[in-house]
Amino acid sequence: MIPGPIGGATGKILWVDLSTGSLREERLPREVYERYLGGMGLAAYLLNQRIPPGADALGPDNIFGMLPGVLTATDSMMTGRWMAVAKSPLTGTWGDANCGGMFAPAIKHSGYDGIFFTGASPRPVYLLVEHGQASLRDAEPLWGLDTRQTETALMELSSGRQAAVACIGPAGERLSLIAGISTDQGRLAARSGLGAVMGSKRLKAVVLSGAHPVHVHDAPRMKALSTSFSKWARLQPPFLNGRGTEMLARGMRVLPLQMRQDGLLYKVILQKWGTSGLNQFSIETGDAPIKNWAGSNRDWPARVSRQIDPDRFRGRELTKYHCYACPIGCGGYSSLNGSGETHKPEYETILAWSGLLMNEDFESIFEINERLNRAGLDSISAGGAVAFAIECFENGLISLEDTGGLELRWGNTQAIRALLELIIRREGIGDLLADGSKQAARRLGNGSTAYAVHAGGQELAMHDGRNDPGFVLHAAVEATPGRHTLGSYQYYEMFQLWTRVKSAPRVRPRFYHKSTKYRADEEKAQWAAQCSRFSAVLNAAGACLFGALIGVQRLPIFEWLNAATGLEKTPDEYMQIGQEIQDLRQAFNLRHGAPARHDVHPRALGQPPQTEGANAGRTVPLEGLVKLYWQEMGWDEQGHPQNGALKRIGIEEFPG
Amino acid sequence: MAYYILENCKGCGACRKLCPVGAISGTHKELHVVDERLCIECGACGRICPHEAVQTPAGALAVEVRRSRWPVPVWDKDLCTDCKICVKACPTGAIGLNGAHPLLKHRKLCIACSLCVLSCPIGAVEMGS
Repeated sequence: MIPGPIGGATGKILWVDLSTGSLREERLPREVYERYLGGMGLAAYLLNQRIPPGADALGPDNIFGMLPGVLTATDSMMTGRWMAVAKSPLTGTWGDANCGGMFAPAIKHSGYDGIFFTGASPRPVYLLVEHGQASLRDAEPLWGLDTRQTETALMELSSGRQAAVACIGPAGERLSLIAGISTDQGRLAARSGLGAVMGSKRLKAVVLSGAHPVHVHDAPRMKALSTSFSKWARLQPPFLNGRGTEMLARGMRVLPLQMRQDGLLYKVILQKWGTSGLNQFSIETGDAPIKNWAGSNRDWPARVSRQIDPDRFRGRELTKYHCYACPIGCGGYSSLNGSGETHKPEYETILAWSGLLMNEDFESIFEINERLNRAGLDSISAGGAVAFAIECFENGLISLEDTGGLELRWGNTQAIRALLELIIRREGIGDLLADGSKQAARRLGNGSTAYAVHAGGQELAMHDGRNDPGFVLHAAVEATPGRHTLGSYQYYEMFQLWTRVKSAPRVRPRFYHKSTKYRADEEKAQWAAQCSRFSAVLNAAGACLFGALIGVQRLPIFEWLNAATGLEKTPDEYMQIGQEIQDLRQAFNLRHGAPARHDVHPRALGQPPQTEGANAGRTVPLEGLVKLYWQEMGWDEQGHPQNGALKRIGIEEFPG
Repeated sequence: MAYYILENCKGCGACRKLCPVGAISGTHKELHVVDERLCIECGACGRICPHEAVQTPAGALAVEVRRSRWPVPVWDKDLCTDCKICVKACPTGAIGLNGAHPLLKHRKLCIACSLCVLSCPIGAVEMGS
């Protein structure tokens, strides 16, 4: 007999009212878990109901939540992710960020399926949950400390078994709209500016220590599935070196045909190098944006990009780092130029602070990575904001006087590093950039919006829609603009959903002409809609995207869900849950007056098309794709969900 | 379900000091009590009790075992994937990492609860000596 509403869930939500300092537990009915599972599903249900439309994202009416997935801390693997959720102050839309590390199981082992914060504290506080007791503690002595200092101090204060800490750094305290939340000494839930939401509530940190048992419906079945999956995770044939990835990608770029991709290849790359294994591969294939999206691989040729050869990053790795329940271990700790260590820089950080800025200095990447992590800043958005500033400077929109004497030229490493410090401290031009490039362009005016590359206010990640239009479609239509982890054409190929989901169309040809990617047709819309639904399921389950890319016939996500929860649903029924979650996220935006889809910078769409490089001549037919995507999701021509999801949670219709 | 302390408890406090989740309370030389909401069924109270005063969730009398004979976790290094589930499952922090690999870092903290064994999804941990 499982004590929770469904297996894998504790059945309890912790609500913390920071205005009054009161705490209470809530038990949600089983039907809610059956319909939304956990993680992002529960968040979509609760935030729609309880954040009043029009609430100020940095005001007390906003609600900030932290949720593991329903599969987190069960006997499954690659399910140790947690979601940070709130209304985003950066985009004014549904905001979410996703993170691995060790914090997700800590939420579950504290006895909760989610922890939500309302109101705002008059003074800095942190939440401590220990031995089943939750309390708010004074964080005045911690205010001003960076994320690593904060975590170290809180670990020393914590008694007993090792605690897990999530905290904000100076960026979140100063309400930088591109601030994230740090765990594990520098792993960030970075996107959507949710660190600023914590800062606005004067919530410095959350410290969790607990051993609450998590019960599943069929433990032997869970273990059998995990044992089967672990064989795929262990498969690691001798593979290419860093130069080999560059050569492979160059071949892929030159060929007019593309092969349907199998994520097992990416698993091998991730296990060997981590995400940095994609550095040169992405540049050569046109996946990585160069020079604030205006350049190409011609501007950052192989002789230059070899500065960020994956083998160089691997050479600096001190030890590998695995997130909870992950057999792959794409993370690592790297030496920090002889003075300590830093999390191994991720692909997104590397490209946002090298190719995007034309910065050729390999060593600087490690130091910038550590500064971003300690400040609690989103490395993607901060890199985009710096790229915006450089292009403004190069085109005379800002002067030496504006920059405080910094020569903001492409590739000027010294100026780039100095500008980052100004952004962290919100000093001088750093104050302008600390809220992201869209806000900076709005304040700067003078035509600078031409250089602010974002979708709906959030800087685009280092995946170019001109190479894979799926990325830019999802950046435009997902409730959280500019996210790169929710869907793309490549992801759809790798998920291989058609092996489990009857309604998911198979990508038929093993080889196809690249030009077919740039058509707005029903097939692409079907892929995108399936990606959206499946990503919602993954984020409700607490699953890792990289695991899912190995393919659902190998990562038994649907089978684990049944064995853990006891719900006995078909994969198609789980995809319907994903649809319902997407409906609610979209409805959240509409109820808060946000547009049904987000504007994307023309450069990311190939408007005008590039004249040289990997993406030369390519244009994304976004308008057509958005309409087809809405049809596929069952939404009307204004992008309004029509499936009754709002009615089912007691909300009748969209206002206005 | 939880462990239960019987009335022949002498109040020596050995179980209270060992309980990794603070579930046992009681004053010296008086009957101690297990808070069933906090108990994680690690069984340490039963193994340490010198007075046969602890009942298991199944209703059996727990048997004291000399601490020097308590088994400890042993990893099958060929099978282990370094996924850290056992690290998180350990209620005392006895399991740590050597690089990316789990190991019994603090032997004195180990309470032989076997939660690491139970939590391992692929059977790579066993209790041994």
